[in-house]
Amino acid sequence: MQYKDYYKIMGLSRDASQDEIKRSYRKLARKYHPDVSKEQDAEAKFKELGEAYEVLKDPEKRAAYDRLGTNWKAGEDFRPPPNWDEGFEFKGGGDASAFSDFFEQLFGRAGFQPAGRGQHGFHAQGQDSHAKIHIALEDSFQGAMRNISLSTPEMDAQGYVQVKHRSLNIKIPKGIKAGQHIRLSGQGSPGSGGGKAGDLLLEIAFSNHPLYRASGTDIYLDLPVTPWEAALGAKIKVPTPEGSVDLKIPPNSRQGSKLRLKGRGLPAKTPGDFFVVLQIALPPANTEQAKAVYQTMQQELDFNPRLSMGVRQ
Amino acid sequence: MKSHDLLPVHTGTVIEDDSLTLEQLCQACGAQADWVVSLVEESIIEPQGNEMHLWRFSGASLVRARSALRLQHDLGVNLAGIALALDLLEELENLRTQLKIRGH
Repeated sequence: MQYKDYYKIMGLSRDASQDEIKRSYRKLARKYHPDVSKEQDAEAKFKELGEAYEVLKDPEKRAAYDRLGTNWKAGEDFRPPPNWDEGFEFKGGGDASAFSDFFEQLFGRAGFQPAGRGQHGFHAQGQDSHAKIHIALEDSFQGAMRNISLSTPEMDAQGYVQVKHRSLNIKIPKGIKAGQHIRLSGQGSPGSGGGKAGDLLLEIAFSNHPLYRASGTDIYLDLPVTPWEAALGAKIKVPTPEGSVDLKIPPNSRQGSKLRLKGRGLPAKTPGDFFVVLQIALPPANTEQAKAVYQTMQQELDFNPRLSMGVRQ
Repeated sequence: MKSHDLLPVHTGTVIEDDSLTLEQLCQACGAQADWVVSLVEESIIEPQGNEMHLWRFSGASLVRARSALRLQHDLGVNLAGIALALDLLEELENLRTQLKIRGH
């Protein structure tokens, strides 16, 4: 078991006042809250912070923790000294499933309520559980069967939290959008007192795709084109999740022009559109021939893209 | 053949836009009805339907209600603060998506 330096986690010195502890918690909780933060390990940091605050905000727990002494380093192998907690009485509280072995060794698990938020108890039916799953964009175009793995913390008969892993095969319906939910009846938490199990609600998100981006039911594709295709117009092939299609590029198209393929987005009652965003790619001037072509353009074309900036050449 | 090929395939139902009843939403986020009603009163989530027994919520409302619950529980934010935070977070998310679409 590793020693945890709760003061270091909260960025405080050991003589911090209770007010400072509260202020520091509020500030860091906002920074690392998983709903707010984009930092990668926000969830882990937030849990660690919650644990540190659970101890330091409570003068009794804090005093007991302080009595372990100041010589411990974070991460050091730790055993509590005998009778370290003599004379203290701890009241339960907090979210037991989130806390470390270190915390449990010191303050125990007794008195904790089963993990879960909000108020429960008037439903005998099991709670609905939630998970977010990432699927490929193609899965929504064609519909698919996917295997997903879920980890669920569950209380065993002794009140210990065990993380259970399970694997489910689920059908991805055609046309599902990011942000939509799939409800799997009876796959949530088990009911109590003969009540039926809750449902499992899966929130859908799309994994990053090398070519396409989804926005609602619309799909976007950046398509490289040559300068002459953009300038003169052309008929070219464009990849879409349902195979390649012909696209006519109108003459005098510009960098970033958006061309719409109606109804070729995600399938739905009103299917989304497929947008092609033109990206003009310049051929490199790496041969004498290519250089000659650029030199011809330089001599023949009166073109200054910086004209509106009030500078010449 | 992989081991999961032997598992049954679950076919769920898609929660279509505006299809959750008040009771289903409460059950889905483990909250009491009066708390959900206070979210509606604060315009944090907006159901279709004028009267309470006709209210229907979207999947997006479910995501917002669960975030609201966590913000209240973890940060002690009040309802007005939750409304502001969620709106700003949503705007941030939209801007990030726009940035991605523009390839930055």
